[in-house]
Amino acid sequence: MTSKKQLFVWILPFLVLILLFFIVPLLYMVISSFSNGDGFTLGHYQEVLTSSYILQGFKNSITLSAVSAVIALIITLFAVYAMMRFSEPVRERILMISNLTSNFSGIPLAFAFIVLLGNSGLFTLLFEKWGIESLTSFSLYSWGGLLLVYIYFQLPLSLMLLYPIYYGIQQQWKDAAALLGASTFQFWRKIGVPIMLPGIVGTFSVLFANAMGAYASAYALTGSNYNLVAIRIGALLSGDIFAQPELASAIAVLLGVTMIIAMLLSEWSIKKTRRNLK
Amino acid sequence: MYGNNAVLSNIDMTIEKGEFVTLLGPSGCGKSTILRIVAGLTDATSGAVKIEGKNMNNIQPKNREVGMVFQSYALFPNMTVKENVAFGLKMKKMNESEIEQKAKEALAIVHLSDKEHAFPHELSGGQQQRVALARALIVRPKVLLLDEPLSALDAQIRKKLQADLRSIQTELGMTMVLVTHDQEEAMAVSDKIFVMNKGKIAQEGTPTEIYTKPESEFVANFIGHYNVFTRKELEQMIGNKLPGERQKFAIRPEAIHLTAKEGDYRFKGTAKEAVMSGNVIRTVFQAGDRSFSVEQLHERQASLVLGNTYECYVSQEDVVALL
Amino acid sequence: MKKKGFADLFFVFLLLYLFLPILATMFYAFATNWNKTVLPEGLTFKWIAMLFQDSSFIEAFGRSVLLSGGAVMLALLFIVPAIFVIVLYFPKYEKWIQAAVVMVYAFPGVILAVGLIRAYAHIGVPMIVAVLGAYVISILPYIYQGTRNSLRNVNARQLLDAAELLGASKAQAFLKVLLPAVYPGLFAGALLSFSVLFGEFVLINLVVGSRFETVQIYLMKKLSTSGHIASSVVFVYLVLMGILTFIISMLTKRSKGAAKV
Repeated sequence: MTSKKQLFVWILPFLVLILLFFIVPLLYMVISSFSNGDGFTLGHYQEVLTSSYILQGFKNSITLSAVSAVIALIITLFAVYAMMRFSEPVRERILMISNLTSNFSGIPLAFAFIVLLGNSGLFTLLFEKWGIESLTSFSLYSWGGLLLVYIYFQLPLSLMLLYPIYYGIQQQWKDAAALLGASTFQFWRKIGVPIMLPGIVGTFSVLFANAMGAYASAYALTGSNYNLVAIRIGALLSGDIFAQPELASAIAVLLGVTMIIAMLLSEWSIKKTRRNLK
Repeated sequence: MYGNNAVLSNIDMTIEKGEFVTLLGPSGCGKSTILRIVAGLTDATSGAVKIEGKNMNNIQPKNREVGMVFQSYALFPNMTVKENVAFGLKMKKMNESEIEQKAKEALAIVHLSDKEHAFPHELSGGQQQRVALARALIVRPKVLLLDEPLSALDAQIRKKLQADLRSIQTELGMTMVLVTHDQEEAMAVSDKIFVMNKGKIAQEGTPTEIYTKPESEFVANFIGHYNVFTRKELEQMIGNKLPGERQKFAIRPEAIHLTAKEGDYRFKGTAKEAVMSGNVIRTVFQAGDRSFSVEQLHERQASLVLGNTYECYVSQEDVVALL
Repeated sequence: MKKKGFADLFFVFLLLYLFLPILATMFYAFATNWNKTVLPEGLTFKWIAMLFQDSSFIEAFGRSVLLSGGAVMLALLFIVPAIFVIVLYFPKYEKWIQAAVVMVYAFPGVILAVGLIRAYAHIGVPMIVAVLGAYVISILPYIYQGTRNSLRNVNARQLLDAAELLGASKAQAFLKVLLPAVYPGLFAGALLSFSVLFGEFVLINLVVGSRFETVQIYLMKKLSTSGHIASSVVFVYLVLMGILTFIISMLTKRSKGAAKV
């Protein structure tokens, strides 16, 4: 059919864009991760897997991402539960406001935390004034500080993903369970949480991936000092010391594989949740 | 039961043990709210719910021994059919082998023995509703409440489930309260019907009473395709005075026939259009500036020619005076 | 219920956690001096005024608007029509767009930056073009979501069929019927994309660097030099994001409302 061919003209620019600015770069990245200038090599991967420094970066990234995701999940799970007492328009407004804060990430977010907890931050001064010793030694430019920042940008995303899952728990299930003799606690243990579980796992993996790929706020706070995968890639790329783009490619490929696994996990769980919640 | 608020007022119903009672009414008339009040899922602002003479007002839903089947089935999607059915007994901490046996029995009652390991999303709507029924039946509630359980299903499956529902009810001798907006369904299954309108009971009675003796225009319109006339219109048509003081009268379409009987009212009408519905043909007649419909079994249709004027008859007791 | 009270604590904590940093930063932008004391010593507009007198900030702002706005424009011109055509006429290929969306999510800026540099840094392509192209792709998820939702809301296929049966050509049906109907949802998606790109730092910093100074790069520089100016930048940024979010939510409400009619 000619009309279908004509329609294809509209799709062509899209395909070209995807090809040029997504597929080609990623292919080049993969190729460069296996090349040493003139030939094929597995050397870069070998280096990644034997360098305790890079492995440390992966470990730091994974821990930071997982811990920030879990904490954000726990906070939002309870917060969503509490939110249900409000009417729907109020809840929608809360979500809108939370979405607004989801734009607050990267450099501006890092700066906001400097204002609060930096060397002369508001809370830092407060803690000094009150003489709370254990807190004055807290450093924003460490793992703990990064964790606070990461939790911050995880929260709105977590809320946005969990709300519909929680909302999907039908009142009729609660009614049915209550009439069959289940207490509220029993309902959540046997029905509510199991129904939400795939959704929670999916949310976790999205949050995890989100944190694994984050770069700007950690960079703004610690420069290249704190050892995270994303920071390592950036440093090897821009050559703060000396650029090693092939090694950066190999690390990026491994990070990409991690991300894909996380995304597949979330896709699987979203499908499962959708089936349950109809 | 007696409630009084914006949604419901002056609801006074008595339901006998082992009866199949239907609350029939258009959507938004408050019939589902009554079920929720009986179950304890909604609190009435005033009034009382009594089951076997015991006041239920401050008793938790789970201790009322009331079962419920929902329109959207409300099956737990994370559990298999058998786990869904067994849930109520698990909550009662019955021992496993007994639960197993009772779940199998309950599934046999609803003809789903072969589906016990399926998940709800693998079943059709009708099958899901059977599971929901088994899940509610298994704990042998004193009253089983059915909140529009069949209205999401196809006509054919609905008919089949209506029959099943009634036979299960008779077999177990269980008290059931059905809420529906489908008058045919109400007629098919009930011992007693409460017709509801705007939060009030419009009429109560057996299906036959409700069908043949509607008390108000609302019931007459809701229950069948009654022809409703004002006194003036009808007296003009039949050229006769009607007894009593009431101002409105209803005549069932199938009570109007074309052959005369002793003592019948008679009037003329011109056949305008005919619509077939199943084995019944409904013909709209024009008489002066009023139209009315007549229903006949399909085979007689041959005798009616559109455009012709016919002599119509209705026996005096089929002219129902309305409040 | 005692459990709810426990959950309420988390809710209040969440709100505080989300707003304290924002409020503190905004406050800081108006503080005369706030290094030694818990509360600022005084309030002033001078930092904001100073920021707007700084030509390099104005230029950076211009660059950010140009770059983000340009990418959104390109997406509207080239990606939206493709999504329309695929969703309406080749629905069986829609899963490929969805796969692309997931892939874009899966490869964040830091990975894409490596690829862009490897592919284009040494063949004479201006790197800002590479970043622009990557921006267009990186907002695919938001553009797809916005387009898809509004198409679904208005039942596009039936609208088009109805218009064509009433005598409109395909182009007329598209321009006069479908486009006005999906416009709010589309516009919301575009604004959301713009606000996401406006905050982008990784790609522009790693691939182009300070040769093309956007607001984010400007802010990064000011971070170590002047806290007050930095907080003024964040203030301006937040006000802009607030306005955008507000418009987006109005548009989304409108497109949802239109769907109900």
